[in-house]
Amino acid sequence: MATVEQQFEWHSGKNRSAGVPDAIEFIDVYKSFGSNKVLQGLNMGLPEGMISMILGPSGTGKSVCIKHIVGLLYPDSGDVVVHGQSVPSLSDAELFEFRRQFGVLFQDGALFGSLNLYDNVAFPLRQHTEKGEEEIAEIVNRRLREVGLGDAGQKMPNELSGGMRKRAGFARALVLDPQIVLFDEPDSGLDPVRTALLCELIKEIHAENGGTYVVITHDIMSARRVAEYIAVLWRGRIVEAGLAQDLFDSENPFVKQFLSGESAGPLGME
Amino acid sequence: MNELLAMPREWLSAAGEIGRFMGTVLSDVFGARVLRFSGETLRQAGILIISSTLIIWALMFVLGLECGIEGAYFLEAQGAPAYSGVFAAWCDLREIIPYAFGYMLAAKVGTGIVAELGAMRISDEIDALEVMGVDSMVFLCATRLLGSWLVLPFVYIAGIGGAFLASYIAVVQQVGVVSSGGFELIFWEFQNPTDFLFSLTKAMVMATVIVLVGCYYGYNASGGPVGVGTATAKSMVLNLVLVHLIGMMGTQIFWGQSPKAPIGG
Repeated sequence: MATVEQQFEWHSGKNRSAGVPDAIEFIDVYKSFGSNKVLQGLNMGLPEGMISMILGPSGTGKSVCIKHIVGLLYPDSGDVVVHGQSVPSLSDAELFEFRRQFGVLFQDGALFGSLNLYDNVAFPLRQHTEKGEEEIAEIVNRRLREVGLGDAGQKMPNELSGGMRKRAGFARALVLDPQIVLFDEPDSGLDPVRTALLCELIKEIHAENGGTYVVITHDIMSARRVAEYIAVLWRGRIVEAGLAQDLFDSENPFVKQFLSGESAGPLGME
Repeated sequence: MNELLAMPREWLSAAGEIGRFMGTVLSDVFGARVLRFSGETLRQAGILIISSTLIIWALMFVLGLECGIEGAYFLEAQGAPAYSGVFAAWCDLREIIPYAFGYMLAAKVGTGIVAELGAMRISDEIDALEVMGVDSMVFLCATRLLGSWLVLPFVYIAGIGGAFLASYIAVVQQVGVVSSGGFELIFWEFQNPTDFLFSLTKAMVMATVIVLVGCYYGYNASGGPVGVGTATAKSMVLNLVLVHLIGMMGTQIFWGQSPKAPIGG
């Protein structure tokens, strides 16, 4: 059984500032599911207005981070702060209001199976705005065109490929012009070409709309293509974080191994 | 000893959790929060009408036939075939038809809700609703409950009509032990509008519980497709137990003290 020191031997916790304030902060966050300790004193800041990537091996708590940011999960201890607001201290009503600043792309798109693509993308507009159907149609069609699904509005989610579902989920996540967009493993289940195209799309839309994007992945190629800021997460704590190039140049053995995809290094099969 | 107590403790805890869930959904309906999603409520009502009404009526009709056949043969054997209407009236209105309604609702609507909400849960659709700032309990559960309240009383009333007709056909046309007028005289003498209201109440309590149990198991499903399957089976078991409990309690409360039988003056 590894001691705490051994477990976190490579966690320097070094955080090279991106030079802008943090949009999202995790402050000494602990979270367990039964005996499984997922987050173990996580301290992490994700800078405003940049594409940040939370990188780490599978099962290390990356998706749990996203669920904490939007208040789907609460920390056992510690705090999650978004734009100065402590998420765990929000009431239910405040939380529903607070969530409107987010767009979230789930792993498989999480499109509503009973609605066609058009209605899926229109759903947030119909729920949260007073816009008429004509204006909604203009916005939805523009968003669908942006993600290359301009002709697929009448299709049902089960008629779409995995990549199309993700792009449709992306269109839905963007439709309310959110300040923060969260991507939960956008590359999972996609071939390398589709992954590259989706990464390009994320970059293009970020360049066009701005905002804070947080991408969760364990795919190094995606990180190289998209990330402006990287936080490497392992065993529920940050190993190192900083601007993408700084991390790719890091001498930390774990970061070096993970970002180069080498088999030799601190990370094994355990 | 601790092991012996573990199971009842688990049941109690689950019952408490289900009770709290039902309370939340009911308060979403009575607190009018559900009215924010009146379009979804009407959609759910429409789905219920289109996909479940015929099969519910079919079972009620078949069991109405059975009530008639049983009553006719039994009372003929006792030398009182003219009283077949007594058996048919009570069997239809008070006991078997509310159960038939409960069984089919649990099998078709209850399990359908578990499967649909469970699939939404495991494919992150419920989380997606939440992060879009939509209260998923109200949107998914309260709308289904209100939708069922809008539709099911009429489904039940029409189903009762179908069952009455089925009993008439069985006693008068099929077995033929009593004349049409003779059957109707006795049949209507042994029930009144209050009985009808009690029967409707029984059925609507069953419907409410079935929809809420379905919502609970679907909304809280976990463990992938196997978990949804397990939740569906559990909901069916619990619903069947509750349908019988409600049936028994309803009979005790509504007719236990006074059977309302115009016999012996």
